[in-house]
Amino acid sequence: MIHFQAADVAALAPEILLSAGAIVLMVTEVFLRGERRGYQALLTAAFAAAAFEAFAAQSGNPPRAIFGGFAVQDGFATFAGAVVCAGLFATALIGAGFLRPRAAERGEFYALALLAAVGMCLLVRGADLLFVFVALELMSVSTYALVAYLRVGTRPSEASFKYFILGAFSSALFLYGTALCFGATGRTSLSGIAAAGGGRLLLAGLGLILAGLAFKVAAVPFHMWTPDVYEGAPTPVTAFMAVGVKAAAFAVLVRILLSAFGARPFAAAWQPLLEALAVLTMFGGNLLALGQRSVKRMLAYSSVAHAGYLLVAVASTARTGRAAAAAVRGEAVTGLLFSLAAYTATTAGAFAALAAFERLSGSEPQPWDLDRFAGLAKRRPWAAAATAMLMLSLAGIPPSAGFVGKLLVFRAAVDAGLVPLAILGVIASLIGLYYYLRVVVVMYMEPAPAGAPVSPPSWPTDLTLVATAAIVLLIGIGPGPLTAAAAAATGLLGG
Amino acid sequence: MVSPAAYLIVGAILFALGLFGVLARRNALTIFMSVELMLNAANLTFLTFARHPLRGPPSLDGHAIAFFVIAVAAAEAAVGLAVIIAVFRTRGTVEVDALRTLRN
Repeated sequence: MIHFQAADVAALAPEILLSAGAIVLMVTEVFLRGERRGYQALLTAAFAAAAFEAFAAQSGNPPRAIFGGFAVQDGFATFAGAVVCAGLFATALIGAGFLRPRAAERGEFYALALLAAVGMCLLVRGADLLFVFVALELMSVSTYALVAYLRVGTRPSEASFKYFILGAFSSALFLYGTALCFGATGRTSLSGIAAAGGGRLLLAGLGLILAGLAFKVAAVPFHMWTPDVYEGAPTPVTAFMAVGVKAAAFAVLVRILLSAFGARPFAAAWQPLLEALAVLTMFGGNLLALGQRSVKRMLAYSSVAHAGYLLVAVASTARTGRAAAAAVRGEAVTGLLFSLAAYTATTAGAFAALAAFERLSGSEPQPWDLDRFAGLAKRRPWAAAATAMLMLSLAGIPPSAGFVGKLLVFRAAVDAGLVPLAILGVIASLIGLYYYLRVVVVMYMEPAPAGAPVSPPSWPTDLTLVATAAIVLLIGIGPGPLTAAAAAATGLLGG
Repeated sequence: MVSPAAYLIVGAILFALGLFGVLARRNALTIFMSVELMLNAANLTFLTFARHPLRGPPSLDGHAIAFFVIAVAAAEAAVGLAVIIAVFRTRGTVEVDALRTLRN
């Protein structure tokens, strides 16, 4: 029997705000029949900002379980939820600039994005595998629909189909893993599983749960859907998948590993597994990105590579009996949260750049070709400078948020005794330099091809682009406040 | 009385069949049905463990979870079938091999 109080509902204020936003947008879509629909993106951004504020207001609260232990309110969930809301804010602005020229501005787009964000915010606070499953599905089902939103040409339906099949498949793996954990322990709550301990059945369940989540975070070899889906989805949706889905999936992965499977025998089992995944993902993502002419595909592989760096942080959280294990774990979680925030700002900006420069008609063979960026330094100096800043951050060159994130992650790996992993990570990021800097070189060195069509500028997209570049630069120069916020958010209830 | 192990084995076989179907079949609808099979295999496992737990008394948790899974699977089917219809409308086929616009 679940007993809950008013305080539990108050803890869910951000999710309630986002759900209310989804309902408001569906209703206004029906009753306001005007041609001008710019208000929809602004409303979505406003609700995202309100939810962000609600998370910020919770940040000082002591951690506690809510809804009979199904969910928690703690610093970790608050930080990850705030990152998701920031991603939603950027998505709404990119969506405003993207959908209007394509005459596709409708309430359901923003309502679905808000509902997906509700799923993500619930996911990061889930403390019970059943709760996590339902939140995971709320996020995923909304995203499947978003990917197929633009019904022009063959790309969106194909991308949505691939995402749907692999998403549903990974959810099924996760669910069967949950069933095995339930069988082994009689519980589905993370703390209950941790208390019951032991057994091969539980290990099998952990393996299936890990495989399911590896699909969601796009870790090699579970990444095959990523380039196709990222390319076929509308650019704002791709941005949202790259930032929101990834942040939420990483947060829940860390929570499950630390809260339910944090004990020594389990950590000894999953740590080598995650190290192998991290190495495969870092090198796979970076090597596959090298040959891409399509910037959108390149960014998809770049997001795979970044999942690898984040997996390094997750592998470093394992409690493996070394002295000062708790301090190392705190350091690793700090690095992970900082990197998630830095990656969200950088990637949202990179996709805003893509949305600003891509061809209007998605049915052309390559609307996101590298040639699209040629000569931009002359034609759109500010946008080009912002894009260059974001590429430097993705590549991990100081002073940028991406550099500090990688530094924190690799330092945590060294302190956790995973020196080879850190060295491999540095080598993988050096490979990444080539394709990130190629975009900058094309923008600044190559002349624009004659008769190149100029994309109509749109202020929300340009604003996102310049604002994220400025944020990334500021975090790179003064990482103190964000590091402090991430360090304050490392306490996992029951972890 | 059928032993609980039998139910678990049936669940595992259903799960393996679904896994095989997703990986080996080329028809979108068959793949979709295979995913549903995997969800139902998980449900059967939940119910068996709820009725015959390995430790502790039988609980209603597993039964409640099964209802959650049924509801979630229905929502997933609604969106998934819509996506498959969208694929059919743009291509006239639901064979996965025809989905090759997006590739390296």
